Formats: sequence, C-alpha cells, structure tokens
Amino acid sequence: MDTGMTESTTAAPVRKTITVKADAERAFRVFTQEFDTWWPRTHHIGKAPMKRAIVEGRAGGRCYTEQTDGTECEWGTILAWDPPHRLVIAWQIHGDWTYQPDLAQASEVEVRFTPVPGGMTRVDLEHRHLERHGAGAGAMRTAVDSPNGWSGLLQSYADRAAS
Amino acid sequence: MVTYQETQLDALGDSTRRAILAALLHGPRPVVELARDLPVSRPAVSQHLRVLKEARLVVDEAQGNRRVYALNPQAFGSLRDYFDQFWSQALDAFKRRVEAGDDRIGKPRSVRARHRRKEKARGYRHD
Repeated sequence: MDTGMTESTTAAPVRKTITVKADAERAFRVFTQEFDTWWPRTHHIGKAPMKRAIVEGRAGGRCYTEQTDGTECEWGTILAWDPPHRLVIAWQIHGDWTYQPDLAQASEVEVRFTPVPGGMTRVDLEHRHLERHGAGAGAMRTAVDSPNGWSGLLQSYADRAAS
Repeated sequence: MVTYQETQLDALGDSTRRAILAALLHGPRPVVELARDLPVSRPAVSQHLRVLKEARLVVDEAQGNRRVYALNPQAFGSLRDYFDQFWSQALDAFKRRVEAGDDRIGKPRSVRARHRRKEKARGYRHD
C-alpha cells in the first residue's frame, strides 16, 4: 500500500497573485500602513467586535487588532520588512482562534510587490508552513468560521473537548 | 448526515489524540514509539489511532512486522481550502482599496496631524 509517507508531513502552500493599478510604494503602503482599510472586519480573534487592525512597520513589529472593549489582540509578527518590495508575517493563530506566541508553531505569509509595465504592481502572496498549525486545524477552523456562527460551534467543540 | 468535518472535530476533541497528531508532525512513527512518549497504555494509543484513522487524519502502513502511522497529507486539505478562499477575498478587497485612491487627501488638518502621530508611533514615520 502506498500512502505517500515521507519523513515529515508538510502542507502545500497557498499561493495567490493579483495585479493592482498602483505603483509598488502605494501597494506596499496600503497593504501595511493602511491595513485597516481593507482587512475583512470579520477576521480577528477578539471577544468584542474589532475597531481597528494595525500592522507595525518594522521587523519584529506586531500585527494586532483593537477591539471595541478597549482590549488588543495580537495575531502576528513581522518577520521580514523590506519596503516596498517584500514582507513576511508570522501567522500566529491556532486552528481554534487563539493566539499562538511560539513562532515555531506559526505559519508564514510572504508578500512580494513587483513593478510591471503600465505603472502597475504584481502582488504575490504565499501562505506557507500550514502544517505547523497541526492536522485537523482546517476542520476546526472551517467549523468555527462557518455562517452558523463560530462562537456556537466553538462552544460545541469545547464541550466535546471537555467530555 | 455526519460529515468528515464533524468526524474530524470529534476526533480532535481529545487531548491524547491531539498529542498523537502533534507527535506525528515530525514524521511517521510506530505505535510502540508513540505509546512510549505518552502517559497512556499501548492499547489505548491503538484505540485513539483507530479513531484518527476513521476521521482520515492519519494513515497507516505495514513495515515488516509493525504498523507505522503518519499524518494523512489530505488532513491539511480543509486548512488549505480555508486560506485559499480567505486570501482570495482579502486580496480582492485590498485591490479595490489600492485602486480607489488615497482618502487621506482632503481630511481636516487636525485629523491628518493625529494620523501622523499614530504613524510615528507605529514605525511608519521618522520625522
């Protein structure tokens, strides 16, 4: 039986490419400094609604959200900061929507900004090392993120975990 | 109908099974080795592995006279699907924003000054 067993298990990275009508400086600035203007409002790990999403512009900078109850929720760290060319963020969110302080258990999002003819910029995004979140993280994540409301599902998961 | 996702969630609702999955992240292991590193008996580990196999989170393979377990590469499929969909939506929103122009132009001076102070605090301004 061939199960495709290898020395260690990895998940293929997610890769996305998009071309925007703007120079690399603007594309990079909107992606980072103006992160709050486009980041999906539904995507945060705070208990209260999200007020603002912030990406600190330096290597080692924090990625966090400010919640309406005054709390801050960290979700990432800037691993590489090379404006306006390249950016790497550690994605420190567990499959059950909790913050993961250990960088060795975080996935990575690399974003590259390449000028293309016509004053446009190609943005290449790679989300890699997904296996660091653990097998089954996807099942948990899609369950908690479903339209049925993630809090209810998270509760049912917690009940199962406790049983 | 019970979906695979529900079966997987059930399988994940146990700390020993999560510990087994974590151990298998470093590579395939036989039952005896897994049992050695966990505070449960070998039959208990076998039982947990059976649940994980039914949930398609692990696969097994006979190697000589022992059975070796590994993470199912497909176990990451739903995580990849999730991020694939998420980044498509997020990058579409990013593109719309980039191409919509700079909305800071035309804001009152006090708003711009506050914005500059915040930028400085976040590392974007060094003046």
